[in-house]
Amino acid sequence: MPVNGIFGTTIDVLGKSIDLRTKSQNLISSNIANAETPNYIPKSLDFEQELQSAVKSGSKGTPAITHPRHLPLRGSGAGLQSVTGQVVETPAKTPGNDGNAVELENEMGKLLENQIMFNASVQMLSKKFSDLSVAIKGGN
Amino acid sequence: MDFFSSMNISSSALTAERTRMNLISSNLANAGSTRTSEGGPYKRKDAVFSATPLESGFKRALNSAVGQQTRQVEVTEIVEDQNPPRMQYDPGHPDANAQGYVAMPNVNVVEEMADMISASRSYEANVTAVQAAKSMALKTLEIGK
Repeated sequence: MPVNGIFGTTIDVLGKSIDLRTKSQNLISSNIANAETPNYIPKSLDFEQELQSAVKSGSKGTPAITHPRHLPLRGSGAGLQSVTGQVVETPAKTPGNDGNAVELENEMGKLLENQIMFNASVQMLSKKFSDLSVAIKGGN
Repeated sequence: MDFFSSMNISSSALTAERTRMNLISSNLANAGSTRTSEGGPYKRKDAVFSATPLESGFKRALNSAVGQQTRQVEVTEIVEDQNPPRMQYDPGHPDANAQGYVAMPNVNVVEEMADMISASRSYEANVTAVQAAKSMALKTLEIGK
């Protein structure tokens, strides 16, 4: 379909990345909020590997997976749409007396990184659309 | 966009930290109170924090794995420190016992100050998290501008 040619996979990947970064933000907020709750184990969303392999396998012309029983046609990577990320628990190396494993400095770092990566994705997506608009208008 | 749950989680923490800060203020203010309406000297109070799921029932069932794993924080209980009162020798005090000792509150001012700094830093961290979520939400609205 020519529409696929215009909107390529870049927009899909960026959209998915924004979606996953939003979810990641929720988990990081949850960790920071519970930085003093006894026995709380921080969680994080692990999706970079999964997203990368989905991007590699999902080249042009790969049929979309629209049903859970569909088999991916290329390699082992699942379709981009099915990337949801894994919620993993990250216990501290040296837990405190109250069993709380949140390292606030670490979480603030992750918060910042997530925010910057999110902004990068949004900026690229925005640029992609404005470039398309330039092409449509013939450079005007 | 699911930034509102992120903001809700952080604001639950702001509320919890503020409650804790109120208790610390109360402990510091009453570090010398020998009389209370319950009788006896003031007893140090502390907040118990618990991680609770953000939504309940139907909405939670609809959520993805991420939604089930996020936890807001709640002050579920305010407990009194059961440590014995500090006995201070002050025979001239109106509440002194026959031996001249006064039962003073079991508040350790140094401990309270350390707790206060910790509560204040946690509050700041959560404010930063709210700001991050807000700036991300506003950034999303810039797509296609």
